[in-house]
Amino acid sequence: MEYPKEQIEELKTYCSKVRAATEGEITYLYLEELRLPAGCTPEVCDGLLCPVARDGYPSRLFLSVQVSPPYPRNWNVSNARIGEKNWYVFSWKVNLVSPTLAQMLVAHLTGFTKEK
Amino acid sequence: MNTSAIDIFEFSQRGEEVPHAPAYRVRIDGETVTADTPRPTGELLLGKVGKRPCAFELIEEFVHDKNDVVEPGEEVDLRRRGLKGFITAHKEIVTIFINDQPYQIERGERTVAEILAKVGQTPDGYVLLEEKKGPPMPLPANLPVKIHGCEIFFSQPQSGGSS
Repeated sequence: MEYPKEQIEELKTYCSKVRAATEGEITYLYLEELRLPAGCTPEVCDGLLCPVARDGYPSRLFLSVQVSPPYPRNWNVSNARIGEKNWYVFSWKVNLVSPTLAQMLVAHLTGFTKEK
Repeated sequence: MNTSAIDIFEFSQRGEEVPHAPAYRVRIDGETVTADTPRPTGELLLGKVGKRPCAFELIEEFVHDKNDVVEPGEEVDLRRRGLKGFITAHKEIVTIFINDQPYQIERGERTVAEILAKVGQTPDGYVLLEEKKGPPMPLPANLPVKIHGCEIFFSQPQSGGSS
């Protein structure tokens, strides 16, 4: 699956590099050195955006490390193996209708910045 | 008439009237900058030293220790007798921008709730994002936000939740 070029370009402003990574029937977007919101440790890590439904979520954001955010999160997936790499995900459901890739990413990152 | 830039400080020290010139050398916080008009605005002069009126004010300094605040849109007469230069001061009440509109707020550490309140919103329904060295990023509602002036914020409805 291909994503709109202009949306990929917008994603690049949040990280150092974006590349597609296909596994199974899903094309993920690998976000190298993704910036995380203030208060997160580390401040930067790699991300893997799954823009389509998976595991009962409309979209998911996998991270290369289990981030320590300003609010504790429920990390319900640890060491998910995608693209020869381990990933972590916290439970967060994005409720946007037809978001752009950047809007989707920001909505996931917002999960680090609010209590519930 | 002079054909090169003249230094208004030198004229002020001699108590002489500043003549017309193609450009004027002006001291701001001890730094010498050049203005190519005898009547620049306060904002233009602040910009010469990399500062903006959303965070700083410009103050005229005259001989005999007289000082006057210059508003951003106010024209300064660089040829005014006795004007020796300018200093800048960080404002206590600064301007920030939320959803492209200016708002006044006290400098220092503010809460996300205080900032959202400027646009009649609360953290329960909205996320505050700050554009700083990159695209807008969401700010944690439980951490203070450092306000120096000129910060750019956006708010957007909450778009997700813990499941």
